[in-house]
Amino acid sequence: MASRSRALLAAAGACAVAGSFFSGSDFVSSLIIWVALNVLMTASFRFVLLMGELNFAMAGFVGIGAYAAGIATTLYDLPLALALLLGAAAAGLISLVVGFITLRAKGPYFMLISFAFTEVLRLIYTRIDLIGGNSGMVGIFPPAYLARYYPTLVVLLVLLFLFILYRVERSDFGKILVAIRNNDQLVQTVGINVHLTKVWCLGVASFVAGVCGALLAHGNNVISPGDFSFLLAVYTLAYLKVGGEAHILGAVAGAIVLTLLAQYALGFGAYEHIFYGAAIVISVILLPQGLFGLGQRLALARRRPDSRD
Amino acid sequence: MDIYVQLLINSLQISAVYVLFSLGLTLIFGVMRIVNFAHGEFFALAALLLAVAVPWLVGIGAPLPVAFALAFLGALGAVLVLGKLLYEFAFRRFQRDMIGSFVLSVGLALLLQGVFIEMFTGAARKLPTLIEGTVRILGGAITVQRLILCLIALLVAVAMCWAIVSTRLGKALRAVAEDHEAAMLQGVPYRRIARIGFLIGTLLAAVAGALLAPVVVISPVIGSSYLIKGFIAVVIGGLGSIPGAIIGSILIAVIESVGGYYFDPSLATIAMFVIVMLVLLIRPTGLMGNG
Repeated sequence: MASRSRALLAAAGACAVAGSFFSGSDFVSSLIIWVALNVLMTASFRFVLLMGELNFAMAGFVGIGAYAAGIATTLYDLPLALALLLGAAAAGLISLVVGFITLRAKGPYFMLISFAFTEVLRLIYTRIDLIGGNSGMVGIFPPAYLARYYPTLVVLLVLLFLFILYRVERSDFGKILVAIRNNDQLVQTVGINVHLTKVWCLGVASFVAGVCGALLAHGNNVISPGDFSFLLAVYTLAYLKVGGEAHILGAVAGAIVLTLLAQYALGFGAYEHIFYGAAIVISVILLPQGLFGLGQRLALARRRPDSRD
Repeated sequence: MDIYVQLLINSLQISAVYVLFSLGLTLIFGVMRIVNFAHGEFFALAALLLAVAVPWLVGIGAPLPVAFALAFLGALGAVLVLGKLLYEFAFRRFQRDMIGSFVLSVGLALLLQGVFIEMFTGAARKLPTLIEGTVRILGGAITVQRLILCLIALLVAVAMCWAIVSTRLGKALRAVAEDHEAAMLQGVPYRRIARIGFLIGTLLAAVAGALLAPVVVISPVIGSSYLIKGFIAVVIGGLGSIPGAIIGSILIAVIESVGGYYFDPSLATIAMFVIVMLVLLIRPTGLMGNG
């Protein structure tokens, strides 16, 4: 990537941080948190898609992160940093075990297992009274001295994890993931343990999903089992498809654009399903590369006349 | 003893509908390698149309059986038109693109469900009873209406299986499902067979929806719960496998009726999900799947 676009990105990140710092109303700060977390969830979903698997368990791991952090804060009064770490670690560790068992299946079979995992977790939450059963947990607040800066903290952490995911994707490990998507048997023949690589990939993505969940729990103050149904992952898929899956910035763009548009559209009434459905269908049929692909094509078209002379 | 018979009868009548539903799902996967998450919406549309059309037809003076017959045919026709439209404008371009077609079908399912909620409102509907009475079989009870609907579903399923095993079209469908390139080399017109296969799958979902409409409470979101169970059935059996879909459907129906009786429905659902995970651990491509 050219240094100019890198500088632009840094500027955009700085603007986001500054904007979150000066956000006045409660509505704006909760919107900033929601957009930022949707961006990170989309990046987590995309990370598993790098190896060609649709990971609906992402929603389940967000839920694990949220509940673990919620328990740490409300039941044990742990500091925020520890609660976030516990949420992320719980999601990451559980995903390693689950991944080791389930990643032998792939394609539609893995997709259905991940889907089943999310729904089972949701049903289990409703049956445990300690974490509020059907009505969920309440009173998950960040410490009072941080409350004012919480949106800024969320944006900073989201930027940090986006950067980490981007670096991992560009590393050798990321290249192996793409190779697995293209032809896993070939990767196996050069002596790479495909199964363990996939497990680690799911682990990294789920750790990030756990961070999202922990941040979400402290941002919303209330969590309930219904927040973590597979629909959460389906919406993420919509963000990714609209933004374009070729680059991590596609995930960022799709999540921002669609979350803000949805906020606007919801003013008209209960059209959430139609809105997300139409967004997915239109972008899959008309814009197979998403907004990112569109931007790239526009940039190419603009550059071409210069290169001719 | 009576309770076992009753549970067996309940399982059988649920499985008749699941079999129809998952046969369509597995057929579409077989010929096009498409995991169709919008399949439940075909089912829902048929049931919803029946729920709207029957009272309307009765209102303008048609006798109840005639109203049912007309509404049934009308619903099947409407669903076929929808299936044809979706095939031509959307699914046709995503054959053998598993992720792309899946994303597309998730979008379509959300979109259609939203449209149904707008069109038919969220209210639950119930159809008038067509045939009164209850029969007892070996000590278990079943309403005559349910029995007849079950028999029709069973008949359709058997006819479908016979067609797939012995007719020319069925052989072409199976050939394409097994290896579409080898089938094309043998002169099987792949595109036409894929289209026909997709439409047959759609029709099966519509038949299942229309048959179930008189005995359940119908709402615009009815499709998704059947979709998830149908999907589990197909995955347990192995995607693309016809006998697998039948075995999976029966298994799911037994878990649902037995689990729902001894424990409660949400535990039965958890059990279903756990069983699908176990099956996939032992056989990562389902009981009858060949990858």
